[in-house]
Amino acid sequence: MQTFLQYTILGLAIGGSYFIAASGLVVTYTTSGIFNFAQGAIAMLAVFTYWQFRWGWNWPAPLALLMVLGVLAPLLGALLYQIVMKNLRGTSEVTKIIVPIGVMLGFQALATWIWNPTSSTPRQFQKFFGANAFVHFGDIKVSWHEIIAFVIAIVIAAGIRLLFVRTRSGVAMRAVVDDPELLQLNGGRPERLAMISWAGGSFLAALAGILIQPMIGSAMSAGQLTLLVIDAFAAAMFGRLRSLPRTFAGALVIGLTTTYVIAYFPSKWTWASSFRNSLPMIFLFIVLIVLPQDRLRGATVLRLRERFRMPSIRTAWIAGLVLMIVVFCLKVIMERTAVNTLTLALTFAIIALSLVLLTGFAGEINLAALSFGAIAVIVVYHFGTSGSGAEARTTLWGILLAAVVTALVGAVIALPALRLRGLYLALATMAFGVFVSRMVLTERNERDIFGLKFTIFTAGQLTIPKPKIGPFDFNSPDAFLFLCAGLFVVIGIGMVYLRHSGYGRRLAAMKDSPAASATLGMSVIRLKLSIFMMSAAIAGIGGVMMAAQIGTVNSDRFDILLSLSLMMITVVGGIGYISGALFAGIFLIAFVQMLDLTLKKFAVDYSSLEAIFMFFVSAVTVLPATIGITMGKNPSGAVSDIVEGLDQIKQSKPLMFTLIGLEAAIWALTATEVITNWHFVILTLINLLIVPVVGGKIVIARMMRGVPKPIPPELIGIDRPFTAEDLAEMDHALNLEGVVIPSAGTVREEASGVSA
Amino acid sequence: MSLLETSAVKVRFGGNIALNDVSISVEAGSVTALIGPNGAGKTTLFNTITGLQPLTSGHIVFNGKDVTKEPPHKRTRMGLARTFQRLELFTSLSVRDNVRVAGEIRNRWSFRTTNMDVNAETDRIISLVGLQGVADREVGEIPTGQARVVELARALMIQPTLLLLDEPASGQTEEETEAFGELLKSLAHNDGLGICLVEHDMALVMKVCETIHVLDFGTIIASGTAEQVRNDPAVIDAYLGSPESVG
Repeated sequence: MQTFLQYTILGLAIGGSYFIAASGLVVTYTTSGIFNFAQGAIAMLAVFTYWQFRWGWNWPAPLALLMVLGVLAPLLGALLYQIVMKNLRGTSEVTKIIVPIGVMLGFQALATWIWNPTSSTPRQFQKFFGANAFVHFGDIKVSWHEIIAFVIAIVIAAGIRLLFVRTRSGVAMRAVVDDPELLQLNGGRPERLAMISWAGGSFLAALAGILIQPMIGSAMSAGQLTLLVIDAFAAAMFGRLRSLPRTFAGALVIGLTTTYVIAYFPSKWTWASSFRNSLPMIFLFIVLIVLPQDRLRGATVLRLRERFRMPSIRTAWIAGLVLMIVVFCLKVIMERTAVNTLTLALTFAIIALSLVLLTGFAGEINLAALSFGAIAVIVVYHFGTSGSGAEARTTLWGILLAAVVTALVGAVIALPALRLRGLYLALATMAFGVFVSRMVLTERNERDIFGLKFTIFTAGQLTIPKPKIGPFDFNSPDAFLFLCAGLFVVIGIGMVYLRHSGYGRRLAAMKDSPAASATLGMSVIRLKLSIFMMSAAIAGIGGVMMAAQIGTVNSDRFDILLSLSLMMITVVGGIGYISGALFAGIFLIAFVQMLDLTLKKFAVDYSSLEAIFMFFVSAVTVLPATIGITMGKNPSGAVSDIVEGLDQIKQSKPLMFTLIGLEAAIWALTATEVITNWHFVILTLINLLIVPVVGGKIVIARMMRGVPKPIPPELIGIDRPFTAEDLAEMDHALNLEGVVIPSAGTVREEASGVSA
Repeated sequence: MSLLETSAVKVRFGGNIALNDVSISVEAGSVTALIGPNGAGKTTLFNTITGLQPLTSGHIVFNGKDVTKEPPHKRTRMGLARTFQRLELFTSLSVRDNVRVAGEIRNRWSFRTTNMDVNAETDRIISLVGLQGVADREVGEIPTGQARVVELARALMIQPTLLLLDEPASGQTEEETEAFGELLKSLAHNDGLGICLVEHDMALVMKVCETIHVLDFGTIIASGTAEQVRNDPAVIDAYLGSPESVG
């Protein structure tokens, strides 16, 4: 009984903290329509800042609290809204999900930068009034901290409810999400209200973080803390992002069950602690499955700002061929380590292809691509290799088996997808990803599963040999490079064929307007299931290639945060393009690593400037997230800019030949070892970036001298004066031909006077 | 028996009654109009008929079968097609592919009965509605008036027996509307389709529709021929306001 009460109180306190974080999610979602994936990261930043003030600089607790909760957290929320989230109106659901994820990853990198996790002294975080401040009720001992946490949760629940129901600004806040324009017409100020709610949401996240950190009792870790508050997502979903009482109930259920698992599971169940950590995610997944079906909605925005043009099949073949040639040319001149990096980048590009297929073609979302990779790797490790030692090879059957298994797992994860879309689906896949990280990849003990004895993740790392397919052995780095490049090209071209097929058009229909698809008689179940399975299989194959390239992988390689980064960078590249996936692989692996190495090399070469270069090394870790955050301003992605630039170059043969000629010269110099790899990279960048820009200007200038570009009708009269033809055309369109209105004659005379 | 009958359809959004005991019918081989001021519930009624909006109470009978509980795609498969007031085109596809994919979707569910040659049918429908000139353009680039015709073409691809058109003529020029009216008449009288039309262009409505239902604040206030409806005091009242309120 004593244990029961003790753990009940702890459960209520943890559940209360979850509720505080979840209520912040509800508030920001209600007013801005954006689900704040960065909630956990805000909490994490607050915890670290509070630690800095309270124990780093020994400020008194009230002052530190006031500073963090009263000033910094609300300010951060308000700024986030003003600078980032405000730009997300009119963008697709994917962009609305990716940008907050970018913020989350950015904060994560920032915290690791400021508070170096490898520093000597572990950062300890105390409960309020110290670790030994207890109240005794009979024979149970309750810490003040736990009481405070639960009481604050109740106060906040009551407070927010009052705010929303009773006050004018609360009602206005609820109106914001329904129809901001209507609210504006009625004198409300939606932007300001949304900003205030983001400040409030950020405050709630910070509060939750500070309350929950000492209760979990481990040392502070940026990644762990971020994901901890993600557990609150389950509670928020239980309330369907609307109902606070249900959110409260959900939070308490999660808090209590997780503590009861610690209290009552026998200690010989070695998986109990993993299970406890995964519980909120299991809970989230179940909530999403049983959620009532969303009403079929049409396109939420009339004209999205995103546009993706699909290449023709011929273009796809040419692009594939060009890529193979480029890879070959690079291989000739590059150092061994650089070749390895390029191969790794290509394996990530294959995984990113699964995202392009799922999100770019079908509008569904998967935030846990690498978790599918992990499952495929586990399958290959256990069932898909032959030989041993240096002779060990991954077999074709192993890879195919892995693809089949991941496709089946994909089908299970698609269960919520059959009824839900967008955000809910994203959360379901994220729950799956976190579950895999916490429950599957932590499995070090031998299990007896249905009479089959094996260890899922042996000793924390798995060795995957290079594949051998029929007579072709891909053990050498060069052969494996070409295998990965070839695989990317084959899957990519296959996807272009798919997109041009009836199946691909039906996917596009499902993505663009579910309502119209349904009223044409489409049942999306099989379509969604098949696309999810196909995407999961590609992610699995990519994962196996990634592991084979690295050789021995540990569970960090499949971390959910890495999956999120990959998804984010793919969206940055252009989620609707095959080349967007290539961009993601190259950028995330090769480019970031190259910058990192270059800066570190400079730091050694120019030791007097070491501090500056090392600063940039840290800045590079924040770079991908920073780019992800800017998505709101350019939702079609970087590749579409490049494609448009290429279109201009194609207009001018001289420019194209200059570009190719220069690049060939640079390559030849490198191949003959006149210049080094570093020079090659820098000169190539200059050639590819500067020449098109400068040359493009010249081309455009020349084109302008020829035929004048057509001016859109609404700009006639502004960009150039009306001509007689314009007026005749307008008369025709308005059915005014032959109609003489007294004033029209004078207008026409004036207009023709101007044009003459 | 009518092709479509709604009986006592009621839809409530919280405290708001969007549709109150709405009973209308649409006959095969004729054009029926549903008119009424903005916010009267016309689109909501279309949504309940196609299954996108659940009813609070009432029944919808299509082709002699009660479809009240059927999901949207099942109703479509029985021959019910519609267009949307807020355009719901597939923006990543060209005009031709928007029409073609409808045929491809149809062939997926009707393969047991009548498989159509999608390409030939696409070409036929595109020239029937007069979209040849823009067939290979991106659907986001064409003017709204033509985009509405694309919606019509797409709906025709599933070879429906009942066609619900939500403000199909808005955004069209006078010439386009003229041709459109003739097309509707021909579809109804020559091909035997039942057509129900929500429209604000009264000239078009009066010209092509045999029956007109007038909806105001979620209630049917008048039904009949153009002549009957035009002279109905309740209709004049709804559109022009009652003499008392003017005074």
